Amino acid sequence: MTLAYLFYIVWIMSGRDYLGEFEHVILLALLRLEDRAYGVTVRQEIEFRTKREVSIGAVYATLDRLEAKGYVKSRLGEPTPERGGRSKRFFQVTAKGVAAVNRTHRALQRMTDGLDLVRSHA
Amino acid sequence: MRSQESSTQPPGMPPPRVAVWLIGLFTSDQEAEAVPGDLLEEFSYLASRSGVVFARRWYWRQTAKTITHLAGAAFRSAPWTMAAVIVGGFLLHGFLSGLPDKFLSAVTDRYLMFWSAHFQAYTWVLNGVGIAHLMASLLVGCMVAWAAKGREMVATMALALVFCGMFAAALVWVATRRPIDVAWLLWACSGPFAIVMGGLIVRTRRSRNRDSSPTRLGTTRA
Repeated sequence: MTLAYLFYIVWIMSGRDYLGEFEHVILLALLRLEDRAYGVTVRQEIEFRTKREVSIGAVYATLDRLEAKGYVKSRLGEPTPERGGRSKRFFQVTAKGVAAVNRTHRALQRMTDGLDLVRSHA
Repeated sequence: MRSQESSTQPPGMPPPRVAVWLIGLFTSDQEAEAVPGDLLEEFSYLASRSGVVFARRWYWRQTAKTITHLAGAAFRSAPWTMAAVIVGGFLLHGFLSGLPDKFLSAVTDRYLMFWSAHFQAYTWVLNGVGIAHLMASLLVGCMVAWAAKGREMVATMALALVFCGMFAAALVWVATRRPIDVAWLLWACSGPFAIVMGGLIVRTRRSRNRDSSPTRLGTTRA
């Protein structure tokens, strides 16, 4: 592999940022929850649908990363008594985030096209 | 999916205080309200549904996992800043911890002829050098925490781990040559501990200032 080819791959990868597995799951949870998406509901939605225990720290660490990439935006809600007077931080997927979900989804579909996954597992 | 959105009652049973404190140490300004608030909301729900013991266990499990993720995120979000802060802290520690010895050498060289008359003073100075080393570590911890704004505990703990690693290597080297002195062992551990304490002091002060400030960084209130 030549150095120029290596730089070409890096350039292609930096231009088309595919989502990691957990980033993908989080963005899908935000799209499902719409305007009700904050830490608790996102964490519970993922636990309910994927049947795996998720920590609130993992959710926020990923959401912060997605916000830095411009895939989500956040706003603080009003403080509530059941949260000890603390505010909820609501998240919303941006147009760039929706595009990233679609791109990753299409890439996964192309990878699974023609595969008989049920028979492969059996 | 369970939901607590209908609940508007303030929480009855508080979550474990130490766990709440630990979470507060590792959350950034952006997460300072949301993370403890989310945990409290779920804790209250679990305590009313499954009992306080179950809820406390859940809170501690979440705390351990959350701190791990937030510490990892602090490194991933600003790797060069963290590396610069840790290397800078290491070099600063090397410089500052050498100063008390230089001072002692200068004093003893100048007043060596009087040592028998002022023996107690010399003993006091020798003990004082150890304390000065500890204060230097504390100062380095404070400066590292000050430079790693928002990542105080992660930066100071990483620096402390570097010194612990060096100390462990030195311990193995010494252990092969002579018996280990327990007092020396404890004294050597106090440096990294003082660095973390420095981070703790800066972090606590910043948290107090942040809590009293009406504005929050990076987010807009609805």
